[in-house]
Amino acid sequence: MIKRLVVLLLLAGIGAIFMSLLLGYTPDNELNLTARYYAEHTAQDIGAANIVTAIIVTYRGLDTLGEVTVLFLTAAIVGLVLAQGRQQNSQRSQRKLPESGELLQTGSLLLTPLILLLGVYVFVNGHLTPGGGFQGGAILASAILLMLLTDPMRHFSHRLISVLESISGLIFITIGVLGIIYAGGFLDNRILPTGSLGQLFSAGVIPIIYSFIGLKVGAEFSSMLVNLSETEGS
Amino acid sequence: MVNAIFIIATGLGTAFLLGLLKDEWRTAAYGITLAALALMSWIAASWVAALAWGGAATVDIFTAGTEPPFAINLRMGLPEAVLTLLVNLASLLAAVYLRDTMFKQGRRAMAVLLIFAMALCGIILTRDLFNLFVFFELTVISTGGLILLSRDKRALGAGFKYLIASQVISILLLVGIIFSYHATGTLNIDGMASMSAQLLQGGSLAFFLMFIAIVAELKPFPANGWALDIYESAHPAFSAMLSAAAGSAALFAVDKLLLIGGTQWLPVATAIGIVSFIGANLFALAQNVDRRTLGYSSIAQIGLVLTVLGQRDILGDSYLYIAGGILLAHAISKAGLYWLSGLVEGRELTAWTALRGRPLLIFAFVTFLALLIGLPPFPGFYAKWDLIHTLAAQDRIMLLTLILFGALIEAGYLFRWFGYVIKREQTTERVACTPHKVAVVYGAVIAGWTAAYLWGNLSPHGNLLHTLPLLFALGFLLLEWLPVWIKNTIAIIGLVAWFILGFPDYDPLQLIFAAVILIGGALILLSSYHVQGRRIGFYPSAMLMYAGLAMLITADDSFSFFAAWESLTVGSYFLILRGKHSEPHALSYIIFSLGGAFLILAGFALASQGVMDFQLQALGQVTEPLSAWVFMLLAIGFMTKTAAIGVHIWLPGAHAEAETDVSPMVSGILLKAGLFGLFMLLMNMGKQQLYGIELTHVMLWIGALSALLGNLMAIFQEDAKRLLAYSSIGQMGYALFGLAMMNHLGWLMALMFVINHYIYKSMLFLSVGGIAKRTGTREMYRMGGLITLMPLSFIAVLIGIIAVSGVPPLSGFGGRWIFYNAIMTADHRLPMIIIFLAGPIAFLYLFRLIHTIFLGQLKDEHRRLKEAPFWLILPQMIYVACLLIFAVVPGMALRHVDSYLNQFFPNHGLNWEGLTITSSFGYWSPISIMLVIGTIFATVLAWLLFVNRKAQKVKQFNMVFAAERPYRPETTHYAWNFFAPYRKALGFLTQPLVTRFWEALTDLLHSLAELLRRFYCGNGQTYAIHLLGFVVVVYLLKVGL
Amino acid sequence: MSYIAMTTGFILILIGFYGALTNRNILRMIIAFTVANTGVNLVLVAVGYMRGRTAPILDAAVPVTEAAARIIDPIPQALVLTAIVIGVGVTALMLAFVYKLYATRGSLDISNYTELKW
Repeated sequence: MIKRLVVLLLLAGIGAIFMSLLLGYTPDNELNLTARYYAEHTAQDIGAANIVTAIIVTYRGLDTLGEVTVLFLTAAIVGLVLAQGRQQNSQRSQRKLPESGELLQTGSLLLTPLILLLGVYVFVNGHLTPGGGFQGGAILASAILLMLLTDPMRHFSHRLISVLESISGLIFITIGVLGIIYAGGFLDNRILPTGSLGQLFSAGVIPIIYSFIGLKVGAEFSSMLVNLSETEGS
Repeated sequence: MVNAIFIIATGLGTAFLLGLLKDEWRTAAYGITLAALALMSWIAASWVAALAWGGAATVDIFTAGTEPPFAINLRMGLPEAVLTLLVNLASLLAAVYLRDTMFKQGRRAMAVLLIFAMALCGIILTRDLFNLFVFFELTVISTGGLILLSRDKRALGAGFKYLIASQVISILLLVGIIFSYHATGTLNIDGMASMSAQLLQGGSLAFFLMFIAIVAELKPFPANGWALDIYESAHPAFSAMLSAAAGSAALFAVDKLLLIGGTQWLPVATAIGIVSFIGANLFALAQNVDRRTLGYSSIAQIGLVLTVLGQRDILGDSYLYIAGGILLAHAISKAGLYWLSGLVEGRELTAWTALRGRPLLIFAFVTFLALLIGLPPFPGFYAKWDLIHTLAAQDRIMLLTLILFGALIEAGYLFRWFGYVIKREQTTERVACTPHKVAVVYGAVIAGWTAAYLWGNLSPHGNLLHTLPLLFALGFLLLEWLPVWIKNTIAIIGLVAWFILGFPDYDPLQLIFAAVILIGGALILLSSYHVQGRRIGFYPSAMLMYAGLAMLITADDSFSFFAAWESLTVGSYFLILRGKHSEPHALSYIIFSLGGAFLILAGFALASQGVMDFQLQALGQVTEPLSAWVFMLLAIGFMTKTAAIGVHIWLPGAHAEAETDVSPMVSGILLKAGLFGLFMLLMNMGKQQLYGIELTHVMLWIGALSALLGNLMAIFQEDAKRLLAYSSIGQMGYALFGLAMMNHLGWLMALMFVINHYIYKSMLFLSVGGIAKRTGTREMYRMGGLITLMPLSFIAVLIGIIAVSGVPPLSGFGGRWIFYNAIMTADHRLPMIIIFLAGPIAFLYLFRLIHTIFLGQLKDEHRRLKEAPFWLILPQMIYVACLLIFAVVPGMALRHVDSYLNQFFPNHGLNWEGLTITSSFGYWSPISIMLVIGTIFATVLAWLLFVNRKAQKVKQFNMVFAAERPYRPETTHYAWNFFAPYRKALGFLTQPLVTRFWEALTDLLHSLAELLRRFYCGNGQTYAIHLLGFVVVVYLLKVGL
Repeated sequence: MSYIAMTTGFILILIGFYGALTNRNILRMIIAFTVANTGVNLVLVAVGYMRGRTAPILDAAVPVTEAAARIIDPIPQALVLTAIVIGVGVTALMLAFVYKLYATRGSLDISNYTELKW
C-alpha cells in the first residue's frame, strides 16, 4: 500500500514534468531549419520521393545501421538464451501438439505467398511510398508466423536464416563503405545515379539498401519467432 | 589516417560476418573476433599517435555526403581517440580473457561482444543526439547479452533488473530528445550547443530529461542498485568492460551534453558526482564481497570524474588532463582488479590471500590499488594535485573538503583490503593461473605504468618517473630474485652514494637531516644482513621510503615536496605491514598519514592560489587571513607524522609490531619527516595568528602535552617495543615544543633531538628487537637477568637510556642543557612546567626497561640464550661509539647549525669556543663533564666492589610453584604492572580518550554504511522506483535552486 | 490535435510506469513497459505534426517546389521508426530473460529475485 502511494507520488512528480513540457509546447507553423533542408534538398540530392526514407536510409543512415544491429543483436541473444535452455532440455520428449484446423492450413497455403509478395513490394518501393525495409521485413516475418501457427513443429533452417541476415548486413555495410570511396561519405546513396524522382530505379542505392534491410529484418524476426517457437513443448 | 568510421564498420561488419560461419568453426570465429578488435584498437591507436604527437587536427567525419546538422557526423579528436583506444583495448583484452567462455558459447557471444565495443565507440564518436540514443540502446542490449556469459546463476536476475532500469532511462531520454529537437530544430549536439540559449529558455525541462537520463547511465549513487548487482554477478571480464569502457563512454556522453547545457548545469553535475563519490565509498566500507566492493568503487570513481566535469568552467586547459587522468586511472585499475578477481576462487575480500604465493600478482594488485587511490607516480596523483589546486584557487573549499574526505574513505577500504591480502590467514584455494588470463592482468599493469609515465611527461611539475631516487627504489622490483645480502649491499651503497652526491648542495639544516636519513638509514640497514633468504617486498618498500625522504629534504616546490611526502608514506606503510601482527596498525598508520597528507595538500593548494609552480619559500608571502589557515593545515598535517597527542594513536602499534630492523627505520628516521616539515613551515611562515590566538603557542601546548602524556603512557607498558614507541611520542613532543618556542635555542634543541632521537631510539629498538628475537617475547616480565647472557645488548641499552634521560655525561645531557637554556629565554611558563614534569617520568620507564630486562632473576627457559645476532649488535655498537663521540664534541655538527640558525634568530645563540659552549646563562664543557662523571662512576664502582667482595651469591629458586599455581602467573612477578602506584595516581591521564574518539568515529562510519546499505533491497522494481525518485529529487532541487 | 496526441502519449507513459512499478509479475511489467513505449512513440509523432499539412512524400500532390510549405516535419517520423524497432528489441530481450528466469527458478514474481542486494 505504501509502495503504491510512493509510486503515485513519484508519478505525480513525473507527471508534473510532463505537464510543464506540454504547457510549454507550441506547435511550429513553419518547418524548422533541418526539416526545411530535407524538404527542399531531398528530391535533388537524394532522389527519393519519400523524404522519411531518405532520412532513414541516407541522412540518418547510421541510426538505421544501429537499428538493424539492435535486431541482429536481439536475435543473437535470444538465440543464445534459448539455445542454452534447449541443450538442457534436449533429452526430454516433446509434447505432442494437436493439429491445427483445416481452415488455418488452407488459409496459410493461400496467404503465405501473397504475404511474402506484399512484404517484398513494401520494401522495394520504400523510397516511393509509405513503408520500407522494416515494415516489409515485418510483413515477411508475419508469413513465417503464419506458417508456425499452422504447424508449430515445422522446422526452419537456422543456418539459412542466419546466412541471410549476415549477408544482408554485410552488404549494407559494404555499400556504406563504398559510399566513402565513390561518393561523399559513409552511406552516401549516390554511388548509383539518383535517377528521376518517383521511378522505381531512382534514389541511388536506397532501394537496394532498403531491400536488404527488409530481408535482414524479416530474417531476424523470423529467427526470433523460430527460436521462441522451438521452446514450445519443452 | 584510416577513417574513424571504420572502427564502427569493422565491429559491425565482423559481427555480421560471424553469422556466415558454421557454428562449429569456433576457432576461426574467435580468431576473426580478436583480429577485428585488434584492428579497431589499431585504428584508434593510430589516431592517438597522430593527434597527440603527429600534430594532426581534430577531424569531423560526415556521413551520407551531407554536412551536419543535416546528416549524422562523427568527430575524432584527442579525447575521442584516447577513449576509443581504451574501449577497444579493454574489449580486446576481455576477449582474450574470455577465451574459454567464448568457445563454449559460440559465435553469437562473440558477435555481441564486438557490437558492445562498437557501440561504445559510437557513443564516444557521434555528434548526434539521437544517434547517441541508438548507440546507448545497443550497449544496453549487448550488456543484457554479455551478462549471460556469467556462470553465476544470479546474473540472470541482475540482468533483468538492469533491463528494467534501462527501459525507464530510455523513455525519459526519448522524451527529452524530441522536445530538445523541437526547441532547437536540430539533433546535432554542436548545433544545439550553439542554440543552447533557446533550448534553455523554452526547453530547459527537455534538457533536464536528456541530462538526467544520460547521467543515470553513469549509475549514480543512490539510484544504482541494479548496476551493483551486475558488477557483482556478471563475468569479471564483463564487469571490467562495464566499469572501464562503458563508464568512460557514458562520461564522455555527459561531457557532450554539458556542452549543450552550458555553465548553469555544471553545478548539477558536480552535486550528483560528489554525492556518488562519497556515498558509494561510504557504502563500500561495509562490503565483504570483492566484486561488489569494486562495483561501489567504480561508482565512486565515475562520480569523481563527473564532479570534475562539473568544474569545467574553472579548469581551463587542464580540464582534459585532470578528468582524463582520473578516468584513465580508474579504468585501468578497475579492469585490472576485475580481471584479477577472476583468478581468485573465493568471493570474500579475504579470499584474495590466495594471491600471496605469487609476488607478480601481488605487484599487479599493488599497482591497481595505487592507481585507484592516486598515489605517485600514477596519473590520478597529478590529476588530483591540479584539481585540488584549482578548486582552492577558485574558493570551492567545500567541494575540495568533500573530495578529500571521500578519497580518504576510499583509501581506507582499499588499504584495508590490501592488509587482508598480505596478512590474513591464507585459504587453501590456489589462484587459477590460466596463462592467458594472467597475461591480460599483466597487460593492465603495463598500461598502468605507461599511463603513469605519460601523465608525468605531460605534467608541468616534471615526471616523477624521471627522478633518480624513485627509479632506484623501483629498480629493486627487478632485483627481487637476488638473495638478501646482495640487495642489502646495493641498498646501502645507494644510500651512501646519494648522500655523497648531494653533500655539496645541502645547507646545514638539510645536511643534518640527510645524514640522519641516508647515513643513518644505511647504518640501520646493516642490521638487515641478519635476515636470510630473499625477503621479497622489503627492499622496494624500504627504498621507496628512503627515496621519499631523500627527495623531501631537497624539495624546492610544493609539488615535489608533496610527491616525496606521499612516496615516503606509502613506502613506510608497506614496511610496517610486514610485521607479524601489524595489519590493523598499519591500516591506522596509513589512514592517519593520508589524512595528514590531504591536509598538507589542502594547505599547499590554499597557499598557492592557482600558481602552479609554487616554491616553498613563497609560503612566507601568503597574506592574512589565509596564511593562518594554511599554517594550521600544514602544521596539523606534519604533526600527524610526528604523532603529536590527539593524532598519535597510530604510532604505538605501528612501531611496536614492525619487524626488528623496521622499527628503528620508522621510529628513528621516518618521524623526522614530520619534524622537517615543521622546520620548513616555521622557517617560511613564522608566527601566525588565528582569531587572535598565537598558533605557535598552541603548538607549544601540544608539544608539552605530547611529552607528558607520551612518557606517562610509556611507563605503563608491559611490551618493551611498545614502551619505546610511546616514548617516541614524548620525544617528538619535546622536539615540537622546542620548535614552537620560536627562538634560537629552541630550534637548536629540536635539531639536537633530531640527531639524538635517531641514535638512541634506533639503538634501543635494535637491542630490544634482538632480545625479543632470542627470548621469543616482548613482554618485559617474561624476561629478566639477561645481563650476563647478552652483555652487549645491555651496554647498548644502558648507554641508550643514559642518553635518553638526559643525565650527564652523554649527549642527552647536552640536549637538556640547551633545552633548559632555551626555556629560560621563552615567555611561556605554564607549558614549561609540564615539560619539566615529563622529564622524571621518562626516567621511570627507562629504569623499568633496563631493570626488568637485564636485572633480576633469569627465567628458566632463558638459560641457554645467546647474545643477539652479530648484525644486530654491530650497528648498536656503532651507535654507542657515536653517542660517546657526540657527547664529547657536540660542536661537530651543532655549531654549523647554530650559525645557520643565526639568519632566523640572530640573538641568543651559543658561543662555541674550543671545547666549551657558552650561553647567556652558563657554560657546558662536555669533556670536563665526561671526566668528572667518569671519575665519580669509577670511584663508586670500585668502592662497591670493595665492600661487596665477600658477598655470597644466592641461587635463584622458583617461588611461584611454592603453593598453588596462580590463575595468572604474571601477577606474582614483580616486573608486571611495575608502576602500579603511579597508575593509581596518574592513570586517569592515560585514559585512552583519544583512541576512543577515533574508534567511535570509524565505528560510526561503519555502522552508518551497514545501516544505509539496506536501501539496496535487491528488488528490481524498487530500483526502478529509486531511479524515478532520483529524477524527481534532482528536478525539485534544480527547480528549487 | 497534436495536443491531444501528446497528452494521450504522456498519459500512456504514466500508465505504463504505474503498471511497471506496481505489478510484481514480470510479464505484466514488460507489458506495462510496452504501453509506456507506445506512449513515447505517440509523443514523438505528435511533436512532428503540423496542422493542415500532409505526409512528407513527394508526388503529384506535393510537388518538390512546394514541399517546404506542404509537408509535416519528417524527422520525428524517421526517429519513431527507430524507437519502435529498439523497443521491440528490448522487449524481445526481456521476454527471453523471463523465459530463462522462469526456467531456472519457476517464479514470475520480481520480488523473488532479490538474492543480490546490499
